[in-house]
Amino acid sequence: MLNTEDFYHVWRIDQTSSLLREEIKEYCHTNIEMCLECGKCSGGCSNAHIFDITPRKIIQLIKIGEEAKLLKMDALWSCVACQLCVDRCPSSINIPRIMDYLREKAYKQNIPSTRPNVELFHELMLGNIKKFGRVPEALLSVEFNIKSKQYTKDAEMGMKMFFKGKLNPIPARVKDIQMVRRMFRNIPAQREG
Amino acid sequence: MNVAYYPGCSLHGLAKEYGISVEVVCKHLGIELNEIEDWNCCGATAAHSLNHELTISLSARNLAIARDMNMDKVLAPCAGCFSRLKGASYELRNNKVLAAEVSEIIKSEAPVEPEVNNLLQFIMEEQGLDALKGKVTKPLQGLKLAAYYGCLLTRPKEVVQFDDPEQPVSMDLVLQALGAETVNWAHKAECCGGGYAASDTDIVLDLSGQVLDSAKRAGADAIVVACPMCGVNLDTRQEAVSAKKGIKYDLPVIYLTQLMGIAFGYSPAQLGLKRHLNSPFPLLQSKGLA
Repeated sequence: MLNTEDFYHVWRIDQTSSLLREEIKEYCHTNIEMCLECGKCSGGCSNAHIFDITPRKIIQLIKIGEEAKLLKMDALWSCVACQLCVDRCPSSINIPRIMDYLREKAYKQNIPSTRPNVELFHELMLGNIKKFGRVPEALLSVEFNIKSKQYTKDAEMGMKMFFKGKLNPIPARVKDIQMVRRMFRNIPAQREG
Repeated sequence: MNVAYYPGCSLHGLAKEYGISVEVVCKHLGIELNEIEDWNCCGATAAHSLNHELTISLSARNLAIARDMNMDKVLAPCAGCFSRLKGASYELRNNKVLAAEVSEIIKSEAPVEPEVNNLLQFIMEEQGLDALKGKVTKPLQGLKLAAYYGCLLTRPKEVVQFDDPEQPVSMDLVLQALGAETVNWAHKAECCGGGYAASDTDIVLDLSGQVLDSAKRAGADAIVVACPMCGVNLDTRQEAVSAKKGIKYDLPVIYLTQLMGIAFGYSPAQLGLKRHLNSPFPLLQSKGLA
């Protein structure tokens, strides 16, 4: 099979390096040196129209090591992870994985999210998984509304869904919950929602 | 073929009708589903957004249980769960460092098997179109459908290795085998907004709105889905999109397995078709299917 890395070797014109780029190569197993600078990632991006920094620019900022800018960008919290960028990339650069890596890094450094409700929802969901092992959708929605102070959000729709039998009032539980909790060992306790 | 079944949280909750119809259809096809014992949530958007090790570990435990149950395949009808499980198995195969860490956490060898299938691949491989045609007793004649794949049934291509990532055809072929007509449309593999349903609803109204516009423009009677997030977003947010854009869509959103059930002769009530906010009954009745 053709190895992309060998194939593009002669085109590797940009030897700029940054610590961030090396880190990404190590942890995300993807090599942005292979970027052809074609912009197909941004062309495919589902949310390019609302991104503050589009995927093509994100790659460029990684190359020059602009970490501070990347960790506070809004795109981290509005990416839908639709996988169009990686599939369109001629070098298969795994941008969705890079987005996850940068978001996780920003989160661990307590850099405020530009969309606090998105971060809050993730935290509440993880808190529920740690508690029950599964997601009690009804409970999670109520919890989210209270903690985000949007008390009536989707209330009417929620009632309709309840009467259609879509919302379970009682959470399901995993029996071996201790095993699920072991997986949370690297997540700081105060950040679980 | 021993098939493990991973329903995920939604098929027991928000998309109960998808879970019900998957079970009805598989039973009809003679496929025994063995639910993964004591399965846990795949972590969905929340886990992969905030902690990589966590998202892989959550899926690894489920896969390890399926492996220990001696299963040959895992069926994950939710495209989100499918993506997490299949992605974890891909990563565990290719990232030995992470595999060792995960194995230590779940106190079991990191699983790379059994193979994980989404609903489309499962139907195509375990049944095939000819066998499916032979089981149709009530052809879906007169239905003009938009087959909607969304993001995760076919992407990322390197991991999924099934159908075309942006111009998929498998669901169209299944629906045609059931006797329906499918439309050509632009948004069959675009995103609905997925996991932002509650946390940033505007993103969903925007992206799901584009999907609804496209299906309407193509002249579809209904949208067919094989993912609870697509199903829930397009069904429950349709009213809000209508109000925002001033367009009346009238597009019921139906799970593929519900339509398979109808074509096999089951009644709409047995397939949970009363649970939708945009009722599919007027459409099905007009075609003599309900």
